[in-house]
Amino acid sequence: MRAIIFFFISICGFSVYSQNKEVLYDFIDLPQSLMLNPGAETNFNFHAGVPFLSQFHVNAGLRGASIYDVFADDGRDINEKIEITLNNLTSNDYLTLTQQLEFVNFGWKSKKNEKIYFSGGIYQELDVIGYFPKDFAVLAYQGNQDFLNQPFRLSNISGSGELLMVYHFGYNKKVNKKLTFGARAKLYSSMLHIRSARNKGTFTTVETPQGNNIYQHRISNADVTVRTSGIQSLREIEGETTSEEVKEAVNKLVGRALLGGNLGVGVDIGFTHKIDDQLSVTGSVNDLGLIFYTKDVETYRARGNYVFEGFETPVQFSSESQDFLDELEEAIPLDTLSNSYIVARPLKVNGSLKYSFNPDDDGSCNCFLEGERPGYLDGIGVQLFSQFRPKRPQYAASLFYYKRWFSFLRTKVTYTVDDYSYYNFGFLLSTHIDKINFYISANNLLEYTNLAKARGASLQFGFNVIM
Amino acid sequence: MKTKKVYLLLCSMVLIMLSISCVKDVDFDQTEDVVLTPVFELDFIYSEFDTSQFIDPDTDPTIVIPEVVINDTLNYDLLGTDFVVDNLERVELTFEFINTIQRDFTFSFGFLNDAGQRIGPSYTIIANAGMGAGTEPVITNEIIVLDNATINVLGAATKLVSSIRVQNVNSTLEGMLELKSKGTYFINYDL
Repeated sequence: MRAIIFFFISICGFSVYSQNKEVLYDFIDLPQSLMLNPGAETNFNFHAGVPFLSQFHVNAGLRGASIYDVFADDGRDINEKIEITLNNLTSNDYLTLTQQLEFVNFGWKSKKNEKIYFSGGIYQELDVIGYFPKDFAVLAYQGNQDFLNQPFRLSNISGSGELLMVYHFGYNKKVNKKLTFGARAKLYSSMLHIRSARNKGTFTTVETPQGNNIYQHRISNADVTVRTSGIQSLREIEGETTSEEVKEAVNKLVGRALLGGNLGVGVDIGFTHKIDDQLSVTGSVNDLGLIFYTKDVETYRARGNYVFEGFETPVQFSSESQDFLDELEEAIPLDTLSNSYIVARPLKVNGSLKYSFNPDDDGSCNCFLEGERPGYLDGIGVQLFSQFRPKRPQYAASLFYYKRWFSFLRTKVTYTVDDYSYYNFGFLLSTHIDKINFYISANNLLEYTNLAKARGASLQFGFNVIM
Repeated sequence: MKTKKVYLLLCSMVLIMLSISCVKDVDFDQTEDVVLTPVFELDFIYSEFDTSQFIDPDTDPTIVIPEVVINDTLNYDLLGTDFVVDNLERVELTFEFINTIQRDFTFSFGFLNDAGQRIGPSYTIIANAGMGAGTEPVITNEIIVLDNATINVLGAATKLVSSIRVQNVNSTLEGMLELKSKGTYFINYDL
């Protein structure tokens, strides 16, 4: 009970977003754009992210509610606000939290072929999504009295969480003047993973005027699975949290980060196609891959049917004493399995159409000598994003405006419509002074004045050396 | 010079962002006021009797048995968890007797602790006599409320004892007695 309540409160306390980095996508002045589209245009000779500082990304949000909805200091009773929020939320609303930290990021132009750019690196990612278990929140908050004959669906229980390291190496090639293509191979090392999805079954309190008793409490076709990996062995290090044990747990996690975890492979693929000098289209698919969970795996599965009608008493010659919990456990046994399993990474798809204008022709460009035209200072266009999630894909569409003010100051603004809001403005600022680059970007700017009202927010920043 | 200006601009932007980005107009202390008051409906006990359970139908009809009692004991510890004892405000036990047997029945129940001793009150309900087999059954409804003080006493209950008794039974009696019941559990849970 307590756990359910805390889950509910915490879900109200956060906001979740997807991994959309609409402001960073196709911002080709930054090498991090290669992480979103390995086929992005590149004009670098060499780049290196400042270790541990080249990209920090965090993204959190809740679809369907905000902290303000529940905790507003407006004199209303919090219980009333919880009830209203609870009624507004659906089981398709969710909490997501994504955080990434680049450890290393580097790249260089091939010496043999100028048209090829290699890049690679290591980053850590935490990715959590929890759908709002509406039916069970209602059951915990209001009980079943007002919901007789209505099923509480176990399919409401859905979510996943993962902590992993990603080792990657990418290849980017200007195939011709019109087309740039790229691919990135990824090796995942999962440190912790938990997932429960595609659960089935219902719990219903049915009125039975013709039955043995007033109601039947039915658990029908229950099939609930929770898969975990990397958690069992950590749980074994239990007891007092002495420094020794903490050290052991940390060592385990570090080992898994260094390719000692459950391994997986994946690719990113992308392209940039110039329709003409000013119009270009890009597309990319990220994290097309699988992780094979074979080590430290524990899966819990409960399946079955159960009907409870109360206790039959008094009866003559009463048989063995009934124990309702024993009967329940027998009808719906909880199995603990250690079978390996495979889970696909959450696939992300990006696309954009960009129109560039206002050529950067101050006479200083020697590009004409090289047979090329100068770049453009302004760009405008649309972007689309989609990410596959346990229940259904998430979508977002953005309009953007890119502006290169000076060679040392470049910006981009976006306006995005997605699951969470229709008023999502994003902003990116990138400075290029000598070889040192700093960038910062955030979205949902209108809501920064009061994050409590925000349905979500995303922030990323970092330092690079670019030549 | 240019560089300095840019960094100045950048720093002020970061500062502006930080200063305007905050969480306001919210009061997290309200968490202390959160009270969950769900109401759960759960079947309690049920039973069904025909007259053969009180007297052998082949018994000579002139023989009248002054009283027949059926006693039963059942493992029952639903009131025993800490959560229930701490947060259950009250329980309403709703009983329904559906009777066509032409006799009153006396139904009693109570609770025992681990040592087999009676704890808390005993409850008795009279189920009104019916009008014979094949007639419209006579229905007796009764609600018994277990208040918070009683629930605290019953926290140690591990067994439910119940009995049904009927007087002046002979083999000409016909019909059925059905017992249905549910508990309505009123939770009051402060975070």
